[in-house]
Amino acid sequence: MIEKGKIAVLVGRRALSTWEGIKHFHEYMLSILKSFKSFRYLRFRSIYSIAVNQTRFTGFDALPFVIFIALVIGATVIIQATTNLPKFGVEGFIGNLLVIIVARELGPLVTSLIVVSRSGSAIAAEIATQKWSREILSMEIIGIDTRLYIVFPRIVASILSIFSLIIIFDIVAFFGGYLISQSVVYIPTDIFIQNLLDSFSLIDLLATVIKSVIYGILVPLICCYYGFMPKSKFEIPIYVSHAVMRTLVIIFIINVVISAMFYF
Amino acid sequence: MDDCLLKIDNLSCTREGVCRLKNISFSCNRGENMVFFGPEDSGMDTLVSFILDLDRDYEGSIYYRGRMLSEFDYTQGLKYKTGIGYLHGDYGLISNMTVEDNISLPLKYHSNLTVDEIKKVVNRAVDELNLDQCKKLRPIDLSRSEILRTAYARSIIMDPDLLIVEHAFEGQCPVNILSFTESLEKRAAHEGRSTFIVTYHPEQFIEQSDRFVMFYRGRIVFSGNRRDFLESDNKYLIQYKNVAPHGPMVIL
Repeated sequence: MIEKGKIAVLVGRRALSTWEGIKHFHEYMLSILKSFKSFRYLRFRSIYSIAVNQTRFTGFDALPFVIFIALVIGATVIIQATTNLPKFGVEGFIGNLLVIIVARELGPLVTSLIVVSRSGSAIAAEIATQKWSREILSMEIIGIDTRLYIVFPRIVASILSIFSLIIIFDIVAFFGGYLISQSVVYIPTDIFIQNLLDSFSLIDLLATVIKSVIYGILVPLICCYYGFMPKSKFEIPIYVSHAVMRTLVIIFIINVVISAMFYF
Repeated sequence: MDDCLLKIDNLSCTREGVCRLKNISFSCNRGENMVFFGPEDSGMDTLVSFILDLDRDYEGSIYYRGRMLSEFDYTQGLKYKTGIGYLHGDYGLISNMTVEDNISLPLKYHSNLTVDEIKKVVNRAVDELNLDQCKKLRPIDLSRSEILRTAYARSIIMDPDLLIVEHAFEGQCPVNILSFTESLEKRAAHEGRSTFIVTYHPEQFIEQSDRFVMFYRGRIVFSGNRRDFLESDNKYLIQYKNVAPHGPMVIL
């Protein structure tokens, strides 16, 4: 009886704390929207270098990781498909399988995982450190709208980077994986390409665009939120960890929702 | 009211049962320089946060050029801050920007100046404050006095009507910040520009300042001009100047 009571208290406390967190995040979102009132006073040159640097860090610098992981995943999927599909007599569906697994799901998910772990953690840590060293306060006192100045260029950079990385991931996974898999199984190139083209549809492209835009908005938004939260330097690692884990959870949930919307 | 830059009217604030400010009233005319001093937790920091419009949780009114601060909307609040320069003891330089970028940040964000014009204005400030040798460096590579001078340059680059300097001198070598103190004196002598200095050492600013205001536990316990500061027999002032443990102030 006492055990059940304790569990109920723990669950209740957790639920309340989650609800408070959602309310607080909602207030943060409203403050971001409110900051768009000063958008017409925002000068492009003041955020240009931030957007460029963020795009370079989030997109360009992540390329080696994305290419390597895409190669590995592409090869794995092709090897598994070509060795197992014939057992079921459906070897003609290899292109479909690649599109379904890599283009629709793994491409966006793995790319966003790389972006969250690299850029998301860096964004949260950078903002938290700036807040602790009163750099954010200095910007506010200069009259800079810190929500717009910090969050907006990162959202723009993130959308561009994630979309580009997903496309690169898919291409490298398909063709790079194909090349690696040739050492294990032989698939004629023309058949492979034809299979892919037949399986790829406009809906897949649309789903990819929508996922990259949503992830591109969510990753910096959530990571900046946790970056603004620490009140002391000792809380910085805690909130950076929260930023990464919670962004990942949200991304997995959004992925399921979008996939269900488009393909169910 | 035309000459009046800032007017504080019956400002009060209580936080968690502790009185931070109680019925604070004073005004500052254009060109007037003031020094605020007192022991820790006297309310000076709270007053500065209200003047900077970082917080509106107070009773009373703050008028800037005749307009009430609490009536400013979001964008007016941002624009108000361009007329105020602020230099605080942590300096708050942006760590991933060079000295030049830090100083030019307000101009890039607010002004209509071209890139070349901004560069000219920044170079003038860099020359005046002897920052030429470090203008391409980031804050991590700067000495303490270079950080102060850079933060000061950034705070005055927009030529604000009011400059607030809060505990910015603590821990600085007076020899290394000569160019800064000269610039501050020049600014203090300017008729149209006002400076508020928040400090624990008011005696260092006798020449630059017109009025001295002492705070203790959220109240103004002394207010007077230079002569009053030097000659008054106000008990709070005497205890503070003599650094005496006994007197009307209870120091823990």
